Amino acid sequence: MLAALLLRRQHPRFSLTIATFFPSQEYHQPRITHHSRRASDKEWKMPQYTVSVSTTFPNNGNISDVWNSDTITDDRSQLLAWLSPLNPGLRHWDIQKHRADGIGEWLLETEEIRRWYAGSESGEGESAVLFCYGDPGVGKTFIR
Amino acid sequence: MSRDDSSLVVDRLCDQTGGQNIAVSCFYLDFAARKEQCVTNVLGSLLKQMVGGMEKIPEEISRAFQQQTTTIGGRKPQLINIVQMIQLIASSRPTVICIDGLDECSGVQRARLLGSLQQILDKSPRTRIFVTGRPYIRAEVERRLAGHVESVPISSIRKDITEYLRIKLDEDDALDAMDGSLEAEILEKVPENVSDV
Repeated sequence: MLAALLLRRQHPRFSLTIATFFPSQEYHQPRITHHSRRASDKEWKMPQYTVSVSTTFPNNGNISDVWNSDTITDDRSQLLAWLSPLNPGLRHWDIQKHRADGIGEWLLETEEIRRWYAGSESGEGESAVLFCYGDPGVGKTFIR
Repeated sequence: MSRDDSSLVVDRLCDQTGGQNIAVSCFYLDFAARKEQCVTNVLGSLLKQMVGGMEKIPEEISRAFQQQTTTIGGRKPQLINIVQMIQLIASSRPTVICIDGLDECSGVQRARLLGSLQQILDKSPRTRIFVTGRPYIRAEVERRLAGHVESVPISSIRKDITEYLRIKLDEDDALDAMDGSLEAEILEKVPENVSDV
């Protein structure tokens, strides 16, 4: 339960956006140059715009490297697969699906758990580990 | 993700840590999968989840990945490397590790796993670790993670009451009067009050 609640909070929101790759101080907004033509007596020409993107990319990176988001995603998934071949997330979502809302909430309100997470700020080591024990079938898995 | 979606607990944890991203990972040990669930794979999986939730992969981890690709066929990270990478993350951001069913792995694996958790805590004492298991491993957990553990019993009485209520609610013929939140409230509040008696 706790893990599920925390995971909901932390749900991967990885998104490939231009801003991700260009920190604000390095990313130059496309510069829009306005070439207006002198209006003739007879007709108005639509203004024409030239969009020029600054070529000052971080690390002098090649523009094709930067724009090829597929490559970046592949690298990321390869790295993750390298870290571990297992995918326990699947098991987690399966458990979450069968868990009733509200069940297990009592644990989140206990004094032990308050002390446990309060230590994440102070670094007090006293209750860094919370061990919930019980006999098979009491619902230990589902409280997570 | 709206704050309403998450519980008070998570909000409190986030508030206390200045609203930074929490690296959360969990692992469900399974007796039937003992062979593939070696300590290296278990901790690797926890690390994988932490890294997977990050917008930017830490430099040290990217570098380690790039370096191993230069060897033929690549080289899988060793347990010590994985522990170091978890220590790195746990030292830089709030980190919660959950491990379910610690009694499901072998005694040898459990000793190694608890030893690795101890190493992570030594280096990154702010890490929060949540573990579940059967009562008979309690002494072992408390010994191997000496001074770090708080043990909480999970009552089966509460579970039985909840189960009973669920069956009764399911048989209820006044379906229109019931909605999800009322049902959840009954299932939460009644066992809480009964077990206090």
